[in-house]
Amino acid sequence: MEFGLSLYNNTLIQKQAVNEVLKYNDLTAQFGLILTESQALQLVETRSIALKDTGRIEFGGGVIEKIIYEFCDSPYISSHNYEETLHELIGIFYYYKNETLDLVSDEDLIKFMKTAFDGICQGSLDLLSGKELYRVAQNIRFSRPFDYTDDFDEEEDYDGEY
Amino acid sequence: MESIEIISKIDKSRLSGIHYLESLMEQASYKEMLSQTEIENIKLGCISLLARQTERYNNGDSSSIRVEVAQSVLTSILYTIGINLKRYKNPDDSVIALQTKNVEILFTEGLKVIDRKISIAKMIHAKIVNNFMITQNVFYSSTVVDGINGFFKLYRPEYAAQEIHITADYPTHITVCNLAGIEFIERYLENIYYENQFCCYFREDRVHRLLSGFHRNYQNLLINLYQPILATAVGSVLCEKDIHLLELSELDVDRLYQLFENKEDFEIIKILKQAILILKDELSTSDELFAYLNKSIFEIAVMIKNAIALKTLGNVFIQPFNPEDEQIIMFSYGEKMEDEKFRAVIDEILQSETIENKISIIQQDIHSLADLEDVLLDAELTNIEIDAILKLLSPTEFIPLLKRYPSYIDIDLRDNEKKLCYCIAKCKASMPREQQLALEKAVNILQDEL
Repeated sequence: MEFGLSLYNNTLIQKQAVNEVLKYNDLTAQFGLILTESQALQLVETRSIALKDTGRIEFGGGVIEKIIYEFCDSPYISSHNYEETLHELIGIFYYYKNETLDLVSDEDLIKFMKTAFDGICQGSLDLLSGKELYRVAQNIRFSRPFDYTDDFDEEEDYDGEY
Repeated sequence: MESIEIISKIDKSRLSGIHYLESLMEQASYKEMLSQTEIENIKLGCISLLARQTERYNNGDSSSIRVEVAQSVLTSILYTIGINLKRYKNPDDSVIALQTKNVEILFTEGLKVIDRKISIAKMIHAKIVNNFMITQNVFYSSTVVDGINGFFKLYRPEYAAQEIHITADYPTHITVCNLAGIEFIERYLENIYYENQFCCYFREDRVHRLLSGFHRNYQNLLINLYQPILATAVGSVLCEKDIHLLELSELDVDRLYQLFENKEDFEIIKILKQAILILKDELSTSDELFAYLNKSIFEIAVMIKNAIALKTLGNVFIQPFNPEDEQIIMFSYGEKMEDEKFRAVIDEILQSETIENKISIIQQDIHSLADLEDVLLDAELTNIEIDAILKLLSPTEFIPLLKRYPSYIDIDLRDNEKKLCYCIAKCKASMPREQQLALEKAVNILQDEL
C-alpha cells in the first residue's frame, strides 16, 4: 500500500497559501507594493516548483509571506520589479536552504538575504545568489565562521561596499 | 488441552514484519475490512502527523525539509504505529484499533512500546556483557559490545524508529529476518544472549582449540562461534564422549558418518533432538536456552545432510587444533647496509647491461634479506630479471620473501611491491605442487621477529 509523500498534493492547501499571501497586501500597500490574486497564485506555483527542483517538501506555509515581510521595505524594490524579485528570491531561498545543509533557520537566512541585498549587493540578485550566499554556504560546508571572507584583494569604496 | 486460536480474516503470514502497517492496511482493504474512506483518513492522519514531526525535527526553524528526510520520518511514523498494532495477537483486532483509534494516539502508544523495548534490549545487553564469552574473535566483541552500545547512542525512535544505524556484522546462528529498528536489535540480542550463554558452558581454551580447528585465523573471520561449538557438543553426546572437552577425533567423525548416512531429514532432526535433550540435562540449561538449542538444530541438520552427500562431515564436526603446539620458526631479515653503500650498489646494478652482471653484483654485495628485498624493489629490475634472481635463492631465502609478499593483490601496495609480489607468485607457481605445499606450510610456521 503506497504511503508516499505524493499524498501531500492538495489544491486546498494551495488556495490557503494564496490567501495568506494576499493578506500581506495590507502591509505592503504602504510601500506601493500590491499583488493580485493571479500574481499570488503564480508565486505559490513558483514555490511548488522551487520545492520540487530542490528536493524539498513544505507542510506549513509561510515562506513567501516571510520573504514579503522582510523585503517589502527594500529601497531596491518597487512596483515595477516587485513580483519578479519575489519569484527570484523564492528560488534562491530554497536553493540555499539545501546549500547551507539545513543548518541555517528560515528566519536567519531571509534576514541575511535582506541585509546583503540592501547592502553589499545593492539590489543585485546575481550578486546575492552568486557571491554572498555562495560564500556563506561555503563557510558552512568548510566549518568556517558564518561571515568569513577571504576576498582580501577586492577594492572597497569609502562605504565599505564593492 | 490445546489452546483455541481464533480464526482471523487476515492471513498473518502475509503481513510484513518491517512494513506492518502498510501490509495490514493492504490486507484489510483486500478483505473489505477497511473502506476507502477509512484508508484515506488514516493516510491523511499520518501526513498530519508527519507535518507535526518535521516541525519538531526542525525545532520550528524551517518550514521545509528535504524529501528524503521527510520520507524517513514518515517511514518512522508508520513503523511506530505498526509496532503498536503488533501487540494485538489477532490482526483483525489491529484493524479494529485502526478504525477506532486516532492515528496520533496509535503513534504515541507506539513510542511507548518502543521505549519499553529499548529498556528490555538494554537489560539483555547488560546481561550479555556481564557474562561475556571470552574469545579472540574480533567481530564478536566489536559488534556485540561496541556496536550495540553505538546503537543505543544513535537510536532516535521519534524520527527514525526503523533504523539501526549499525551494521550488526556478527552473524547469529538463527538469522534475524523481516524485522527492523528496535525489533531487530531486540531479537538479535536475544539470539546472542542464548548463544553466548551456551558457549560460556565451555572453557575458553577448549573453545579456542575447537575454533582453531575450524580455521587457524578464526580470530579475524566473520563467523558464528556458537554453531561449531553446538555441533561438537552434539557430536560428543552422540559419541558418548565428555561434552566439556569439545574433542572429536577422526574416528568419532567416522562413527557420526555411519550414524547419519542414508538418514532422511526428519530422522536426522530426531537424532539431534534426542542429543539436545541429553545436553540440556548435562549442562542444566534453562528452558529458554533449551528452546533455542532446539530451534538451532534445523540448520545443523541441513549442514549434516549436505556434508554426508559431499563426504565432508569433518567440516561440521570439527577436530580441535592447538595452535600453541605448532612449531614456530623465528627469522630475521638481518641488518641493512649503510645508505651510501646501498646507493652505490643500486647505481652499479642500474648501469649494468646484462642480467648476469646484475646477479653477480647482488651475489657479491648483498648479504642480508633486508638488502635483497630493497634491491628487488628499487633496482628497476624487469620481471625477467627478478624471476632469474628468485630462482637462484635457496628455500630458506625464498620463504621469508613469500611470507612478506603472499600471492594476492593488496590495493595498498606500491607499484614496485605489486611487481615483486607478482614475480614471487609466478616463481612459486612454476614449482611442482608438492614443493608449493611445503612452502605454504613453512610460511605458516615462520614468524618474523619484528
